[in-house]
Amino acid sequence: MASLGTFLLLFAFVGCSYAAVISVVGARRRSRRLIESGIGAFYLICALMTAASAVLINAFLTGDYSIKYVAHYSDSVQPLFYRITSYWGGLDGSIMFWVFLLSIFGSLAVFVNRERHRELIPYVVATISVVQMFFLFLMVVHKNPFTTSLTAAPADGQGLNPLLQNFYMAIHPPSLYTGFVGMTIPFAFGIAALATGHLDDSWLRAVRRWTMFSWLFLSFGLTLGMIWAYEELGWGGYWAWDPVENAGLLPWFTATAFLHSVMVQERRSMLRVWNVTLVIVTFFLTIFGTFMTRSGVVQSVHAFGDDPILAKLFTGFMIIILGVSFGLVIWRLPLLKARNELDSWMSREAAFMVNNWVLLFSALFILFATMFPTLSEAVTGHRLTVAAPFFNKWMVPIGFVLLFLTGVGPLLAWRKSTISNLRDSFIFPVAAALVTAATLAALGVRVWSSGLCFAMSAMVFGTIAQEFWRGGNIRRKNTGTDMLTAIIGLVGRNKRRYGGYIVHLGIVLIFLGFAGNGFKKDEQVLLTPGQEAKIASYTVRNNGLKVSDDGQKQMTTAYLSIFQNGKEIDQLYPAKWAYRKHEQEPTTEVAIRRTFAEDLYIVLAFQPNDLATQTATLQIVVNPLVDWIWFGFGIMALGTGIALLPERAYSFALAKLPADAATTTAALLLAMLVFGGARLSAQTGMGGAADPNVQSSHYARSDFERQMQHEIVCTCGSCGHATIAECRKDPCTTSHEMRGQLAALIDEGKNHDEIIQAFIAKYGSEEMLGAPLDKGFSRLAWLFPYLVGATSAVAVGFAAVKWTRKSDPTIDAPASIDSTLEERIDDELRDLD
Amino acid sequence: MTHRYIKIAATSVVLVGAFALMMWSTLRDGTEYYKNINEVVSDQQQWHDKQLQLHGYVVPGSIFRKRDSLEYKFRVQNNPARSTLPDGGVVDATYTGIVPDTFKDEAEVVLKGRLTPTGFHTDPNGVMAKCPSKYEAASKSAASGT
Repeated sequence: MASLGTFLLLFAFVGCSYAAVISVVGARRRSRRLIESGIGAFYLICALMTAASAVLINAFLTGDYSIKYVAHYSDSVQPLFYRITSYWGGLDGSIMFWVFLLSIFGSLAVFVNRERHRELIPYVVATISVVQMFFLFLMVVHKNPFTTSLTAAPADGQGLNPLLQNFYMAIHPPSLYTGFVGMTIPFAFGIAALATGHLDDSWLRAVRRWTMFSWLFLSFGLTLGMIWAYEELGWGGYWAWDPVENAGLLPWFTATAFLHSVMVQERRSMLRVWNVTLVIVTFFLTIFGTFMTRSGVVQSVHAFGDDPILAKLFTGFMIIILGVSFGLVIWRLPLLKARNELDSWMSREAAFMVNNWVLLFSALFILFATMFPTLSEAVTGHRLTVAAPFFNKWMVPIGFVLLFLTGVGPLLAWRKSTISNLRDSFIFPVAAALVTAATLAALGVRVWSSGLCFAMSAMVFGTIAQEFWRGGNIRRKNTGTDMLTAIIGLVGRNKRRYGGYIVHLGIVLIFLGFAGNGFKKDEQVLLTPGQEAKIASYTVRNNGLKVSDDGQKQMTTAYLSIFQNGKEIDQLYPAKWAYRKHEQEPTTEVAIRRTFAEDLYIVLAFQPNDLATQTATLQIVVNPLVDWIWFGFGIMALGTGIALLPERAYSFALAKLPADAATTTAALLLAMLVFGGARLSAQTGMGGAADPNVQSSHYARSDFERQMQHEIVCTCGSCGHATIAECRKDPCTTSHEMRGQLAALIDEGKNHDEIIQAFIAKYGSEEMLGAPLDKGFSRLAWLFPYLVGATSAVAVGFAAVKWTRKSDPTIDAPASIDSTLEERIDDELRDLD
Repeated sequence: MTHRYIKIAATSVVLVGAFALMMWSTLRDGTEYYKNINEVVSDQQQWHDKQLQLHGYVVPGSIFRKRDSLEYKFRVQNNPARSTLPDGGVVDATYTGIVPDTFKDEAEVVLKGRLTPTGFHTDPNGVMAKCPSKYEAASKSAASGT
């Protein structure tokens, strides 16, 4: 099988070279047949990469440990889900995954644009093929995932690092890669436009949605990374300005800049060189980020490894990218002249320009600071490092400028704002900011950065609310419906604009979460049994430590009671898990008590002699408002989803939905509030609701039953205390019986405590109670933003097929029935601008 | 037109100047020297009261923890067996707080803090234990038998 994989990769490499050469030749000779042949080869690469991926996944599933990569990143006890995700668990596989994604996206982009942008397609195919060639070359000569052991194959693999056996970590890399790889498509179109000289705005239309799509996934990937760091690494924070994190943030900044400046080019035909440059820089930064983290150029606590060969190959590739791209830009400068000049600094395009500078500056600053240790060593000989405080000192003010622009930009008119419309549009948002600031000052908030952040968030919120209100009002008057329907209709009429405002709203929530950081409390305590510690409004009492073992890992759990105002409000169980084969790297299982206002976050730091004395060494953190970051991302995904939605889907939804829209929204909000108070521990990562290893009877019929099955441990003795949801080894009649008893008790309508009591009575001890796991159910609430994100991703999938056909008159027909009316609204909306 | 260019030039000069000034001032107190044990030991005076990131390996058997507290005393040294650096003396270090799980005998650590005549005072949360096998380097550590 391994040689088949290698062969497929080699064949894909040959296919890429063929596609690249034949497309360019075809374009120069204007030969339709050659171009079609190139496209055919391009689709073939996609098929080859799919086959190669299938071979690798098959090797993981069947445990073919003769392949080194498989032996290194999986073992036989690993659950099915993590065996599949091991595909991108290491460098070799993730490069292959990169090419696989690129071949799919490339084929999709070529397929949907092949008629409309016929003149660009050959160069798009050539550019993407060359990028694929680089990565395939990398694999074939240096990092082949199909390399086999020269000696006898090991009997079992080493297993994926337990830190990575986590739900978020399983989906974080593909999401980030989707964002990274997606940025290649705009780059390819940009290069094609430069090469052909078709530099009107049509190439921008082709890539706008791709950029939005990639941007969404990049944001999603970054958020998942933060959640993973927060829940799994257990240091109490979510962002440490580590090079690995920064690598993902760099292209995010430039892509954000592009999404804004592209509007200036569409409206005013300005910033044409700038936009091409941003597309190139964004792509370059995705490659550079990979280079930075994978080649060992930058020292970091968690950088990935040291690989001089990889560094050289990447350096060469990056020089080629920069040389070719900017060479083309300089060659085409005469064609890229702006058709307009900036009329006034009091205009929206000026706000966009400032926003672009700030975003680009952020990217360059982070790049500089991340590379600083390497640079300083090269220049002075001393390795000087900069840490988080340095980043924060710069990025906090930059964040303020961006937040400020978010509030101001939408209020300015294109071309030039007059004094009277400035006064008109600013009065409400500024008032909102001032009232908030005054309230905070009166309440005695003395953290200036957080206070300022709250005030500015209020201003941005005021701006967004005002935009919706004014637009909705006009539409309401014109159509004679109620406000809510009018606003929904308004969003439908101008999805990018109002989707964008919803994204801004998400950003505001995220900033609120950041601002909460200013009130963070962090303490490290050592508690003897019964001893208590006070932090913020909480009192934490140590009830003792306990060790249990479930066959895969040894778990040391601290039992803590949490008091607030003298009342016991909760019990938390932070733990350390030591996995087999990874005993030297125990994983931290943080216990988090989440509320909308703040998280109580407790980490158990286990010392060898603590168990004898039953002493708990704890890091206790109170993180105010932190959950608003994740929630804000959900809103952001929703806004992006709306902006990406194809016309037809929206008008269809509009025809079906309005009557229920209000109820649905209210229900969702209510659901959030109900789940919001629920406690959740980070131990839910493994073997949760979607455990694919289920092979036997008595499946959980409800969330409650599933939760119970995960709380009760099988007493059969051969499975090493797996929960009865997990112990499905044949023939384990014990767990089968226990699941049956559980089902019977649930059918009798018993609640959680009654069931536990019944089991204790039956088995005469608490033996069947596992380490208190709190799984499944409450996670749903926190999955909500991601469900929204996934939904918009599906919408994007539809969009990908549909957006080329948007110009088809039959599709637009249903939306334009009341065309005169719509025109009037549009006119009025334009006057608002 | 020249008028416009002068304006642009003046703006750029001011911006670049302000930027350079800010960069310089923040870098001055935002940076830390990243040093190995031998570099520090050979010239202790020079490094007193400078913000340092000290890289080394924990001396086996040197970790002491005060009973029922989070106060640690330990020593760090270079480890020629595991790196290319020469053996260059030992530095005493103190720390109060929670140490990472991977902080144990022979662990590779980076300590943030200040060097004083009585030893190295590690900042709160200033112990970073490098874990060679965290992500990619597992094969190396497996090969070297650690």
